[in-house]
Amino acid sequence: MRRAANLTGVELSRRGTLFALLVPGLAVLLFGFLYPVAATLAFPPDGDPATVARETGSLLTDPYLLPVIARTIRVAVVTTLICLVLGFPVAYLISRVPPRWSGKLLALAIFPLMLNTVVRTYGWLVVLGGNGLLSSLTEGLGLGPSRLLYTETAIVLGLVQLFLPLMILSCYSSLSQQDPRLEEAARGLGASPGRAFRQVVFPLALPGALVGCTLVFAGAVTAFTTPQLLGGARERILSTLLYSRVNVSLDWPAASAVALVMTVLVLVVSALSSRLSAKGSTQ
Amino acid sequence: MIRRPLLSLLTALAFLIMLGPVVILLGVAFTAGSTLTFPPEGLSLRWFAAALDYQPFISSLGTSLVVAALSTVLALALGVPATLALQRGLIPGRGVVENLFATPIIVPELVLGLALFQQLMVGLQITALATLVIGHTVLLLPYAVRVVGASLALSDPRLEEAARGLGAGPLRTFFQVTLPVMRPGIISAAILAFITSLNNVPLSLLLTGPGVSTLPVEMLNYVQSSYDPVVAAVSVLLLAASVAVALVTERLVGFNKVFGR
Repeated sequence: MRRAANLTGVELSRRGTLFALLVPGLAVLLFGFLYPVAATLAFPPDGDPATVARETGSLLTDPYLLPVIARTIRVAVVTTLICLVLGFPVAYLISRVPPRWSGKLLALAIFPLMLNTVVRTYGWLVVLGGNGLLSSLTEGLGLGPSRLLYTETAIVLGLVQLFLPLMILSCYSSLSQQDPRLEEAARGLGASPGRAFRQVVFPLALPGALVGCTLVFAGAVTAFTTPQLLGGARERILSTLLYSRVNVSLDWPAASAVALVMTVLVLVVSALSSRLSAKGSTQ
Repeated sequence: MIRRPLLSLLTALAFLIMLGPVVILLGVAFTAGSTLTFPPEGLSLRWFAAALDYQPFISSLGTSLVVAALSTVLALALGVPATLALQRGLIPGRGVVENLFATPIIVPELVLGLALFQQLMVGLQITALATLVIGHTVLLLPYAVRVVGASLALSDPRLEEAARGLGAGPLRTFFQVTLPVMRPGIISAAILAFITSLNNVPLSLLLTGPGVSTLPVEMLNYVQSSYDPVVAAVSVLLLAASVAVALVTERLVGFNKVFGR
């Protein structure tokens, strides 16, 4: 009996320790994250769930705002596709070159992640601006000035630059685990280089590519600096609309509605992608 | 495989897009002219002098460093014990708790910033600086839990059992076995968290007060209101600092290991 009592004592103190280790972190999450986010999405200042629901309804039907949602999704999808088309080959190359090269190339691809988004986007103003690099190039070729700044194309370019490292990393993590002999075997059995790539290399790296696509899509939907600087007030997406709702029109319930749509969009895509990858891993 | 010429072409294009706009800033920053043009019109250091002379950049750099340091320390102080409990203890509903610690990553940072502004700054009258620290701590917690957790998951719990079996108390076991095992993870998490906080824009954007604002937000505001190359000079200074941090990181724990996750 004494022994059993002792054990329970140990058990209890272990429970107590675990509790003490977890609670501070959970408390900060509750106070600094769950409470404020839930409160803002449902009960903004001078509003209640009904106002937010009404604002969300008008956001989803308003002929001015609907294009903003459509543009956000379009920009995110195009950015994701371009990142995949460019990032996958880079990751493939890095996974197949000798190690002394792969480390350096990978570092070069990762390095931009150390810089803030203003630094990374600012250069595009020089390239795409009114008398920028691209404009003088097209004028030199007799094509007239290029007007790419403050267009959707500019936003996509900036976002591709921002998120390519994430795509490269995700694809690389799958590709570097792949045995290169699988591809060689396919080739040895008579598959053309293209067929070996389509039927062996790419399908096996699909989980990494899917993670990359999810990261890039979510990042593109929520990015702020780049669409603000390269799209401006002319080409609003959800994040820049949210900012102007808060800062310019000071319309809290409307801001909450935009925040809600943005959050749901990201959550739905993340959920879909984890469903998809779960399905892929059971097959 | 993809055909070599195509592979090389796509790779070159990818690196051009990733690094080209940043490299161009090097040229713009050293211009003697007063507009944002490349190639530069003559060479000078006047924009660097202007950058170091612009008070909002200097004071916001101070704010950024304080917020990054405090929130990194806090995120580790909260995250490491939580990771320890999650990895080494038998917790009912462990998956749920783990997911809870990862959620701040899924919610858009701009939305979290708006929420903290409305509920903590306006609602509870908490200062901008304190709200920034709280927000950044929440943002960094998932990194701390995940990165330190990864290094713990790789280690063998029997090491700790052996230490206990050989007569070491729980505290001694923690400081002489568990902590050394977690050290590379903690260093990686600290560097990653510090840089993440330092670079953040969307979360910090709305959390400003009189004289309180972070450097990237001040840079963004400056770029939106004027067209001279001051921010290019600031960018080049930050670029140089990042190269230095990257080299130190490479020596300490490996650059690709820290930032390549």
